[in-house]
Amino acid sequence: MTSTIKIDPITRLEGHGKIDIHLDDDGSVVDCFFQIPELRGFERFVVGRPIEELPRIVTRICGVCPASHHMAGAKAVDGCFGNEVAPVAHKLRDMYYHAHYIHSHIAHFYALAAPDFVCGPDADPSVRNILGVVSKVGIEIGKQVIAARALAQRIQQIMGGRTTHLVWCLPGGVSKGLTREELEEIKPMVKQLSGFADFSLQLFRDVVLGNKAYVDLILNGPYTLDIQYMGLVDQNNAPNFYDGDVRVVDFQGKEIARYKPAEYSDYVAEHVESWTYLKFPYLKKRGWRGFREGIESSIYCASPLARLNVADKMATPRAQQAFEEMFATLGGHPCRALMANHWARLVEMVQNAEMLERYCADPEITSGEYRLVPRQITGAGVGIVEAMRGTLTHHYTCDKNGICTSANLIVGTTNNNAPIQMVTKKVARALIAPGKEPDQGILNMIEMAFRAFDPCFSCATHTLPGQMPLDVHIYKKGELVRRIRR
Amino acid sequence: MKTLVVGMGNPILCDDAVGVRLARDFKEELGRIPGVEIVEECSVGGLNLIDLFLGCRRVIILDSIRTAGGEPGAWHSFTAAALLETIHLANIHDVNFATAHALGKAMGMDLPDLSDILIFGVEIKENRVFSASMSPELEELYPRYAAEILSEIRTVLAPVCVQGNQQRQMERPQLL
Repeated sequence: MTSTIKIDPITRLEGHGKIDIHLDDDGSVVDCFFQIPELRGFERFVVGRPIEELPRIVTRICGVCPASHHMAGAKAVDGCFGNEVAPVAHKLRDMYYHAHYIHSHIAHFYALAAPDFVCGPDADPSVRNILGVVSKVGIEIGKQVIAARALAQRIQQIMGGRTTHLVWCLPGGVSKGLTREELEEIKPMVKQLSGFADFSLQLFRDVVLGNKAYVDLILNGPYTLDIQYMGLVDQNNAPNFYDGDVRVVDFQGKEIARYKPAEYSDYVAEHVESWTYLKFPYLKKRGWRGFREGIESSIYCASPLARLNVADKMATPRAQQAFEEMFATLGGHPCRALMANHWARLVEMVQNAEMLERYCADPEITSGEYRLVPRQITGAGVGIVEAMRGTLTHHYTCDKNGICTSANLIVGTTNNNAPIQMVTKKVARALIAPGKEPDQGILNMIEMAFRAFDPCFSCATHTLPGQMPLDVHIYKKGELVRRIRR
Repeated sequence: MKTLVVGMGNPILCDDAVGVRLARDFKEELGRIPGVEIVEECSVGGLNLIDLFLGCRRVIILDSIRTAGGEPGAWHSFTAAALLETIHLANIHDVNFATAHALGKAMGMDLPDLSDILIFGVEIKENRVFSASMSPELEELYPRYAAEILSEIRTVLAPVCVQGNQQRQMERPQLL
């Protein structure tokens, strides 16, 4: 007789994602399924529209990282028009994207990750939130968080005209450049953000690394997977969030693939399971080998930690120091401990801030030559950027009149579908045992497994209530014997 | 006293667009009222919303909603105070609005009180299929519920001196 535990998170548009944990007679975990219903029909919806409209439409896929879709869409459209792009437009897009990264990483670290470490994974849900964090670390730090986030948003607004649902990128460039006056307004903001990135790293050292139990949780808990890693790198194998080659390394650090965006379909394929709408990307040349760990596994993840794992170094000096400290503390590079994703976000944020500083000092950044009007329609383009939560691929084709004939998207979180599945099962197995009934603490420890990936399953999030209650149902012989709810 | 009227939703996600459409249709009339600003399209939540609401004394949100047993075209109104029970870390991707609001208030941000954030939620049928059109059921009933909601907003906005501090306490509908 099999028992079933259901963890049923519900939000309005994040869907009815749920975790079903199946137990055997003695209460051990047999299997675990993480199920997400996907919003449907986007690829079909865009067919027949002018291809240059797509970067403006795709921002409606996701209310959480619209700029990532906008950038990937813009690059795919550039490809459809022969890839003639004004050089300064690449710099402006990249600069904007660094501000977007900081904005997102601040929210994730302070609002979502920090509660588990500052308040503790076993803390009552009523205090394990950003309010609990502020009450522990002090209101002044809370004010700094709010202020830094606002600065990152203001930079995006100055550069792109809007903070969400950009209409900025055009084929061959952007619709507006950066004036000298705007640059002068941005400079002090960047300086502040740079200091805030350092401050956040120090806070992580003090709160997390200063607590042996947390370091043990990161390094020795069930939150590890022996799988491969994917991320964009520049020509020096440093992380690049806007452009570059996709590099894949195994968990021992050996490069097993490196490809240009246009070659993505030779390297990535998608596996389908009957119990979920969401596909499972895998390394195509290895073939689908199931939800298996190991050096031969075809499962990869794409996340902040993955981006640092595929990199040989960071692109900027202070980020490089933070990179070296992180991997030295974690026992070497690459690192298999998925909870290190939170740390990796902060290392990335240092690079984001330093890159903003670099662009502020670039005399070309205020150039008026920010767009080349396309002269040809070549019919196909692939745009790949690193969305905050993973490698994002947009592939478009169009006819000779520039009308979209097909679109294929592999979004950041989809890359991580299999790893989330696997680590959730692993954590459930480690924590749920015969005679050990699941409680709130265990629920959160399971939730922490997928939270490390900062997953985004909706792609139209505007959760006004923002409620996502967790319901755990425990059945014995078909009867509900216990319900844990928050 | 600045009042913000926000059309909440995704304009290309079938019935999810209803709030955006209402805001667009109400813009001409409500936009003429001194102190009223219209945001036709907003599809963000949590911390991003408190950025949007900064400096407002009152906010009116036009949105879609799905409740247990709800009929498409029916609508609810309630204040954001009804969302207070959602203050906890349960959203894997963002803080919920009530938490973000409490954080903003604690940080001294100039935000409207929850009781001054009025939400109109129209019951919908479909919000998981990308489409620039709403479902036929919601479309057919649009003139009726749009008129009813606009009438209610006129009542709320007109006698500002009388209704400015009115406390609207309604039970929060049970979301699907």
